[in-house]
Amino acid sequence: MNIKVSHTQGRVPVAILAVQGDLDASNYQELIAQAQQVYNAGTRHILVDLGNTLFVSSSGLVALHSIALLLKGERLPNLENGWATIRAVEPRSDSSPQQYIKLLNPQSKVDRVLEKAGLKEFFEIHTDLAKAIASF
Amino acid sequence: MVARSIQVSAQVSNLAVIRHFVDERATDLKANRKAIEDMLQAVEEAVANIIFHGYRYRPGNIEVEVWNEDDMLLVRLRDQAPPFDPTTFPPPDLTFPLEQRRLGGLGIHLIRKFTDRMIHRMTSEGGNELTLVKKIK
Repeated sequence: MNIKVSHTQGRVPVAILAVQGDLDASNYQELIAQAQQVYNAGTRHILVDLGNTLFVSSSGLVALHSIALLLKGERLPNLENGWATIRAVEPRSDSSPQQYIKLLNPQSKVDRVLEKAGLKEFFEIHTDLAKAIASF
Repeated sequence: MVARSIQVSAQVSNLAVIRHFVDERATDLKANRKAIEDMLQAVEEAVANIIFHGYRYRPGNIEVEVWNEDDMLLVRLRDQAPPFDPTTFPPPDLTFPLEQRRLGGLGIHLIRKFTDRMIHRMTSEGGNELTLVKKIK
C-alpha cells in the first residue's frame, strides 16, 4: 500500500490522500500517520481518494474514523495499547456526515464494507474530484 | 491445482498471503467473484483477530484450509491461541454518532455480515477452529 499526498485549493485548502493498494491491519496506521502529518502542517480538510484502494478491512475503517476525530481536534488514542479504547466524549446526537474528511470513488466492494460496518452515513462520498473539492 | 491448506506464522505481514491463498483456492473451486470477495473480507477480519486478540502479537501459527461442499465455500482457520468463541461476541451498537463510537470493534460484526455462517469449536490442543461458510451458487 502506498499513499500519495497532494494539496489543492477550493474554498479551503484540501489535502488529498490517495490510497493505492490494500488498506488492512498491516498498514492502516500509515494512513493515520499521514493524516496527522498534514494536520500538523495546518491542513484541516482531507479528501481520501479510494479509487485505487483494492481492499479495506475494519482496520482501514479505524483509520478513517481516526482521521475524522483528528480533524475535529480530538486527541487520538494510542492504538498500541490495544483496541479497547472507549471514547469518552460529550454526548451528541449529531449523525450527519463529516465535514472535514470526505471520500472519493470507493470501489463497490469498499463501499459495501462501509455500508455493512454502519459507517457509510457518516462520510460524504464523491465520484467527481472537482465537486469533492468544492464541497468543503 | 492450488493446495487445500497452508500454514503461516501469525503476523500482519501474512494477512495478504492468506488473502491471496484464499482468493486463488476459491477461484480454483469456481466460486463466484462476489462470494470470494465477501469471504476474503471475513477471513481478513478473523485472521486479524487471531493475531491481535488471540496470540496478542506473540508467536504462533495459523492454518488456513479452503474447500467446497455442494453450494458452499468453506474456510477453516486453526490456531493455538487461548480459546475464544467469536460467535458469542455481542454486536456493536451502530446507533451512536461517529464521535461516540469506540474505535475498532467491527471485525466480528463484518464476519457475520459477509458470511452465511460462522462455526467455532475448541481443538483438542486447546486452540481454536473457526469455520466460515459462504454460499457460492
